[in-house]
Amino acid sequence: MKNKKPLLAGPYLFWALSFIIIPLLMVFYYGLTDKKGAFTLANLARITTPENLKALGFALLLSFISTVICLLLAYPLAMILSGRDVNQTSFVVLIFILPMWMNFLLRTLAWQNLLEKNGVINMVLRFFHLPAWEIINTPGAIILGMVYNFLPFMVLPIYNVLVKIDKDVIFAARDLGAGNVQTFLKIILPLSIPGIISGITMVFVPALTTFVISDLLGGSKILLIGNVIEQEFQQGSNWNVGSGLSLVLMIFIIFSMALIAKYDKDGEGTAF
Amino acid sequence: MKKKLQNIYLSFIIIFLYAPIATLMILSLNTSRTRARWGGITGKWYLSLFQDEAIMGALYTTLIIALLSALIATVLGTAAAVGIQGMKLRFRTVMMGITNIPMLNADIVTGISMMLLFVAFRITMGFSTILIAHITFNIPYVILSVLPKLKQTNRYTYEAALDLGASPFYAFFKVIIPDIMPGIFSGFLLAFTMSLDDFVITHFTKGPGIDTLSTKIYSEVRKGIRPEIYALSTLMFLTVLFLLVIVNTEPKEDKTQRAKRLERESRARKTSRFLLTRVMPAILSVVIIAGGFYYGSQNIISGDNQVVVYNWGEYLDPEVLELFEEETGISVIYEEFETNEIMYPKVQSGAIAYDVVCPSDYMIQRMIDNDLLAEVNWENVPNIKNIGKTYLEQSRQFDPENQYSVPYCWGTVGILYNKTMVDEPIDSWSVLWDETYRDSILMQNSVRDAFGVTLKYLGYSLNSTDLDELTEARNLLLEQKPLVQAYVVDQVRDKMIGNEAAIGVIYSGEAIYTQWENPNLEYVIPKEGSNVWIDSWVIPKNARHKENAEAFINFLCRPDIALMNFEYITYSTPNEAARALIEDPDIRDSKIAFPSAEMLKDCETYRFLGDENDAVYNELWREVKSK
Amino acid sequence: MPNKLIDIVGVSKSFGDNLVLDDLNLYIRENEFLTLLGPSGCGKTTLLRILGGFETPDEGKIIFEGKDITSLAPNKRQLNTVFQKYALFTHMNIQDNIAFGLKIKGKPQSYINDKIRYALKLVNLEGYGDRYPDSLSGGQQQRIAIARAIVNEPKVLLLDEPLGALDLKLRQDMQYELIRLKNELGITFIYVTHDQEEALTMSDTIVVMNQGYIQQIGTPEDIYNEPENAFVADFIGDSNIFDAIMVRDKLVRIVGVDFPCVDTGFGTMKPVDAVIRPEDIDLVAPEEGLLKGIVTHIIFKGVHYEMEVTANNYEWLVHSTDMFPVGTEVGIKVDPFDIQIMKKPESEDEEAVSIEE
Repeated sequence: MKNKKPLLAGPYLFWALSFIIIPLLMVFYYGLTDKKGAFTLANLARITTPENLKALGFALLLSFISTVICLLLAYPLAMILSGRDVNQTSFVVLIFILPMWMNFLLRTLAWQNLLEKNGVINMVLRFFHLPAWEIINTPGAIILGMVYNFLPFMVLPIYNVLVKIDKDVIFAARDLGAGNVQTFLKIILPLSIPGIISGITMVFVPALTTFVISDLLGGSKILLIGNVIEQEFQQGSNWNVGSGLSLVLMIFIIFSMALIAKYDKDGEGTAF
Repeated sequence: MKKKLQNIYLSFIIIFLYAPIATLMILSLNTSRTRARWGGITGKWYLSLFQDEAIMGALYTTLIIALLSALIATVLGTAAAVGIQGMKLRFRTVMMGITNIPMLNADIVTGISMMLLFVAFRITMGFSTILIAHITFNIPYVILSVLPKLKQTNRYTYEAALDLGASPFYAFFKVIIPDIMPGIFSGFLLAFTMSLDDFVITHFTKGPGIDTLSTKIYSEVRKGIRPEIYALSTLMFLTVLFLLVIVNTEPKEDKTQRAKRLERESRARKTSRFLLTRVMPAILSVVIIAGGFYYGSQNIISGDNQVVVYNWGEYLDPEVLELFEEETGISVIYEEFETNEIMYPKVQSGAIAYDVVCPSDYMIQRMIDNDLLAEVNWENVPNIKNIGKTYLEQSRQFDPENQYSVPYCWGTVGILYNKTMVDEPIDSWSVLWDETYRDSILMQNSVRDAFGVTLKYLGYSLNSTDLDELTEARNLLLEQKPLVQAYVVDQVRDKMIGNEAAIGVIYSGEAIYTQWENPNLEYVIPKEGSNVWIDSWVIPKNARHKENAEAFINFLCRPDIALMNFEYITYSTPNEAARALIEDPDIRDSKIAFPSAEMLKDCETYRFLGDENDAVYNELWREVKSK
Repeated sequence: MPNKLIDIVGVSKSFGDNLVLDDLNLYIRENEFLTLLGPSGCGKTTLLRILGGFETPDEGKIIFEGKDITSLAPNKRQLNTVFQKYALFTHMNIQDNIAFGLKIKGKPQSYINDKIRYALKLVNLEGYGDRYPDSLSGGQQQRIAIARAIVNEPKVLLLDEPLGALDLKLRQDMQYELIRLKNELGITFIYVTHDQEEALTMSDTIVVMNQGYIQQIGTPEDIYNEPENAFVADFIGDSNIFDAIMVRDKLVRIVGVDFPCVDTGFGTMKPVDAVIRPEDIDLVAPEEGLLKGIVTHIIFKGVHYEMEVTANNYEWLVHSTDMFPVGTEVGIKVDPFDIQIMKKPESEDEEAVSIEE
């Protein structure tokens, strides 16, 4: 019998071509031409201006730091959650998805209220006669915003991988003489690599390219590469340069896709 | 002990995740309009929310987009997943690669790429483009939820169904679909949530005249979020929490417990459970959909007796609009912009025929230069008589013959300072470079204002095009940057009210309101002079309802209406008749709202400097910002 | 008689409201092949996990070589476990899997290499060292799991239904393999299964468990031939179990007919359970039997015929090498020593004992 099932993917394939592939080609087209439509590499070269390099460097640094923090926060959390007898995965997902029903911008904005000089946190600190926490409008606040917004995307893939690890495998390691630390380093950690990689890319890419968080929590003092691109499109209205810079960004994105393809072949670590 | 540590850690994370949400919920009960000050508990925003058409419209757009995009994505995605599952490995890898693109690609690149597509193929941006974009980024979530379930299904059950005489179609719907239903459902839910929460992609693919909650909120961030939005978000959050708790508590019992419960359970309780778990969500969906169509249809049915208004955000009392509609029978389609620079290309492109727009002085000049405006027929605007002569005179700087523009609001740019936080009264821009106020200075986040202030401080014209002067100004701004707490636009207001900073550069119109909220604040026009600006109503050449536009302008010039509006937006009105009606003498003669000619002698209006000079300003400003 | 190696003293364990083990006492001797046999949910796996250190009993103690190891961590015990679904480390190759325990103990590399070679040979999988678990069949993975456990030279090997996932033929082969291994290694095996055939084939001692209680301990022969209660009788092999009445010593009334038997001490006219194995029923000419019946079913099973005979409204299961076509009238005869008499369970708890779970 002839297998007709692949035909079902037809509409999606058409959709993907129209709205994923062709738009991407458009970015390439704009990125590699000037305003008159002639081929040029000048738009790509714009990344090398000191301001743009700085914006990119800063974005890389901040997103790297927030990714590391997310990982450090999320791993123990995923361990604890996977160890709990909530065999209802939905409960865990619920905790982390629920905040998304409060608008992303509002949630980030709320951090202004919490972090400001006279904000909630500093009022509490003052009450206890502790020194104020002056973080608003600094890179620190941007990192906090990134960690806050993207933490779920680190927790869920790691959690998903951890719950899939057969408890007997861990018992087997203990049985063969491994202590807690050894079991973690030699068994649990290597087995959770797909989740970690998937989590890292799902945090790093959005953090690298955000313009909203830096806008809202950084007091507009810190330009990230995302802000530069956004301005090229919305204010400077130089779409060619904006596209050129987007292409540079895509290098990092392709790199992370390659990582996923290598370490998470089966899609085990997908977030949901 | 270990358990205790774990619980402490869990609570820490949960507090971290939910602290902002609790904050928003508390803000929704705040009597004060500004988030910077706590004015006591109130529930009034929950009532006014439902009268606010802009917010309700955005809500329904959001919900409809989320629902439709999630539904379509679920159908397409499920079919795709089944198809991909049946493919040879090589094709499957390619398809999964494509699927991963929107997941892993940056939102900003996805949004931009789709915007470029829509522009290139001349698809008018609006509801449908947002919908397409949302479907596109939703499909992968569905595929990735359904595929694992498909892998788990036993393929023999499908073959068994065929063996028993089912057609492939029947077998698919009766055997495979029920098997993968949990995956489909979670994919749908995820898609719905993602669509609801998206800002970046919508930001790039939305057209004028349509807002989702996200974009609505983003445009309000600069002005200060209206408390109704907090109320709405709180309601949405609680609704979902309620629904999810119900759905999740049900299946937690095992079989024997269930059997026992069913035995014990009376009919009444069964019915109530049924109501909670099945009927409630269904009713909610119906309400959402019906409401959506209701609000959606309002725009369409309104007929041709309308006027399309394009105004700054929060720059008109909504009640004025209602009064206008009641009195004239003309329905108003109202849209907002954030900056002159965002407004200009939209009017220029003519994609939407606005009837009446409210740009600032220099932008009006630019629009006149580019022949975008229509002359006002003064016979239709008799109330122009109420506008003070001085303002019409001032308008000649950008509208030499007073042919195109009707002054709406005016004001100055000055310094707002907190009396308790500075040592002596302030009268000069120099404080913005005073080391004493390091980290206590709020600077305007816009090119012309930032440079205007600096040029004035240096004693130059704020319309300077001299590169040396501009470079000098840039260096001064760079020098200032370490002292600046933040570059903001309208947030100066909230931050000054909340005692976050000692000094802020602000528009005079905001100063009055901030003084109401925080009496320690003082506004001053520095002695070096400043910018005096006028925002005026103009009618674009391509307006379809010019007479309605003139009726609208005339209505706004009526003294009682102008007064009502002034009290709402607190920006100085050029309407002398309205000013005479102000009861409070402190405000009627306020030096802030209505400064004397003496105070304005060194003030200038912005002029349009030409595209090339604009580019120079922008480049220098970027150098400042990215340092 | 070898020494006691493990002594399980008064162990109880419950999960939530569910009492899984109730005051269980058992000892295990050195070099013994002991099988915990019972239906799923009987507590046998929990007991094994308590021995392995993966669960802590609510009450009671585990004594190993005279020392209390009840709360000792699994990695400190001289026992190793072969898990039900093998639990191989999928991110390591076979060598690294086997070497895992030895590396942790810090053994020298040459010693580890020798051990790997020895273990692979022992389980007949030489040359598989570089492969990954995913590329092996179920049986091969099972043998690797055993190799991984035994290189650590445990005093006791715990096996948790290790053959459950294998097909019939492989299972039979592995049974011989396990017996061979046990003899070669000379260590104690504690084996958990719900398969009575496995238990009968391999064990020195069988412990039949149900609902957290030990039902019977004995050699395979004891368990099969002299089940102590209806549960054991029903669980081990096929049997006819009757509600019977002990008329007096050495005479039992089954389905209204008095059969002579050898049991005494059950009192007079007392309700009892009587068990007759199907192969112990002799079919004879109608007039020669104690009662008459009609053959209603017959299946050829290779070694014998399996027949159902209806007699006095009761279906008797009979195994016989002689063939009686359906419809034949036959007589039923049983030798007195082939009738096993058991006391009726008294408490309701014991009544609940059944194998349908």
